[in-house]
Amino acid sequence: MTTTAYVRTLLVAFAAIASLPVSAHHSFAMFDDTKEVTLKGTVHEFQWTNPHAWLQVDVIGAGGETEQWAVEMLSPNVLGRMGWKRNSLKPGDEVTVVIHPVRTGAKGGNMVSVRDKSGVQIGGPQQ
Amino acid sequence: MNGWSAVVVALTLAAAGPAAAQFPSPPPEQLKGTPVTPARLPDGRPNWTGFWVTPNGLLETYRGPSGVTGQAPGANTRSTRRQDIPALKPPYDQRYAEALRKSAAGEIPDLVAACFPPGMPRMMVMVYGMEILQTPKIISITSEWQAATRRIWMDQKEHPPADELDPTYMGDSIGHWEGDTLVIDTVGIREDVPLDFGQVPHSPNMKIKERFTQVSPGVLVDEITIDDPDVFKEPWKYKMVYLHRPGLRLKEYVCLENNRNVDENGQAVFK
Repeated sequence: MTTTAYVRTLLVAFAAIASLPVSAHHSFAMFDDTKEVTLKGTVHEFQWTNPHAWLQVDVIGAGGETEQWAVEMLSPNVLGRMGWKRNSLKPGDEVTVVIHPVRTGAKGGNMVSVRDKSGVQIGGPQQ
Repeated sequence: MNGWSAVVVALTLAAAGPAAAQFPSPPPEQLKGTPVTPARLPDGRPNWTGFWVTPNGLLETYRGPSGVTGQAPGANTRSTRRQDIPALKPPYDQRYAEALRKSAAGEIPDLVAACFPPGMPRMMVMVYGMEILQTPKIISITSEWQAATRRIWMDQKEHPPADELDPTYMGDSIGHWEGDTLVIDTVGIREDVPLDFGQVPHSPNMKIKERFTQVSPGVLVDEITIDDPDVFKEPWKYKMVYLHRPGLRLKEYVCLENNRNVDENGQAVFK
């Protein structure tokens, strides 16, 4: 599997809009919502938990080593209204995940979108 | 810009970005503010019992003439960016500036990140759903956020005397009906409960006034006025919009289940 982790800087105005849906139980100042990182990898673990769901993704780094990224998601109640289920993902599933990266530079971020192996986005509009 | 046009602009902007895919908004015609005749309870009052959601981007405020914004350095939370906070009086202005600095530097805890209740009025300014249960004497509103519940006493005309009123996260809420509008007066909020993610302070004398009106089928608006003359040079006003979702139910939310967002000092982190 080839791996790409790349950063895309968006127009500030666009980023301001993109950041609207993320407010939840804590401040999201820890994430840089002017940037997006796309991760291609496999699901290591899907934590369907409160106050946030988490997706641990194994990504092959530039040097061929496996890196684990932590992707913070919304809470199961909101995700559920967007069509997610606790079994939407399982370990080993190939995914493409777009995140707003955490400002510290740690391998992680806040979920923007998740697509499955065939490129179909998981979840949709909130009911 | 009047209040509702601000909402429509926000909706239009949201529709242009990826946010629209996650949080669709009601058609603008639903938000024009034409009062409707709501379903009624046996006692003749509007029946809002049920589950409601808050689409993001529907928070709006009235702009104060001398308002300062609550933008913390580096902060990009919806609550601090989108609300126009009235100017603060001394010593609260200095206290607020210091809280912003410390919050941005990670020197003070984020209470909700540590799973404390959001309190009033934050629990009404939320991304989560809420459940309204009505009886003639009590109206109960439970947020999915920390499962926080507030009770509005409909059979209580006055708040308890100050020396009998222990400050709480939700405060003491008394309500009455003015026609089909539910009017609520809330006092007794703990001083350590900030009014938003931006650590906006308040005094022990803060009063929160709310007016709930159903403006169109399935659309409920809460006009919130934070009246705290010790802190603000003018009342802080904003509206929240809630959408009825009869097919859905409130879901459990236990914040301590897997809280990876707080360190040993109670500060919001990522780990």
